[in-house]
Amino acid sequence: MIIRAAVALGCLSGALAAGAGAIAADKPATHTVVIEGLKFVPEMLTVKRGDTVVWVNKDPYPHTATANGVFDSGAIAEGRSWRYIAQKPGEHPYLCTFHPNMKGLLRVQP
Amino acid sequence: MRNCAMTFAATLFVAASAVAAEPPNDAQIASIVVTANQVDIDAGKLAQKKGSNAEVKAFGKQMVTDHAAVNKQASALVKKLKVKPQDNPTSQSLKSGGVENVKKLQKLKGAAFDKAYVDHEVAYHEQVIDAINKTLIPSAKNPELKKLLETGLPLFQGHLEHAKKLQASLGK
Repeated sequence: MIIRAAVALGCLSGALAAGAGAIAADKPATHTVVIEGLKFVPEMLTVKRGDTVVWVNKDPYPHTATANGVFDSGAIAEGRSWRYIAQKPGEHPYLCTFHPNMKGLLRVQP
Repeated sequence: MRNCAMTFAATLFVAASAVAAEPPNDAQIASIVVTANQVDIDAGKLAQKKGSNAEVKAFGKQMVTDHAAVNKQASALVKKLKVKPQDNPTSQSLKSGGVENVKKLQKLKGAAFDKAYVDHEVAYHEQVIDAINKTLIPSAKNPELKKLLETGLPLFQGHLEHAKKLQASLGK
């Protein structure tokens, strides 16, 4: 009887853990890309559809995060940030239109 | 215009060779940095005013913003290090080249202005990048000054790529 109860309890906590995991997976996450020294850090980022990506500009001059036809931050001033909710699944290479040598990649999983 | 850019390149080259014989000290490097930025700010202001293409105007505005930000960092560093920027052949040649460029641009209008400005921006950034790489970074003694130059490098490279894209789009 004690064993059975323990097993039942174990199953219950297992189910609870799985449930919590499922909830965590469903909840959209927020990811940060820091712009510093004319680099997007991290340069490559994988997110799930519905997640939020925040680009934070730590450089003393404005930058953009622009993926033609997908997203375009416009000028992000010094010390400011821009939020984007990832909607379109796929691989989106992006750049800073002011400094086109700055490149990044946003991968959005369906 | 091509001649103008080439003369300008030659001036910088001569200046760079003169510098190569005797590497600039930190006070001279500080003066070169401040002058190089100021020259591009002056040209950018003119482009904001006289440019006919919206992208050319926007590029001019960006040059003013970006180079002013670098100069703000440079003057803060100069103050901190208690270095007095010292005039030298390279900074003098940059200054006179900048004055000459503005004089030439002032006589132009419309698409001719746009083309001349952007062509010069391409040549200018190429030369400045070369000078930073070959002369300024290797000569800088103070680590903070060296770092300022090293972070300036990708910025100038970004401007060069942007200017080249603009140059290609104006050519169409």
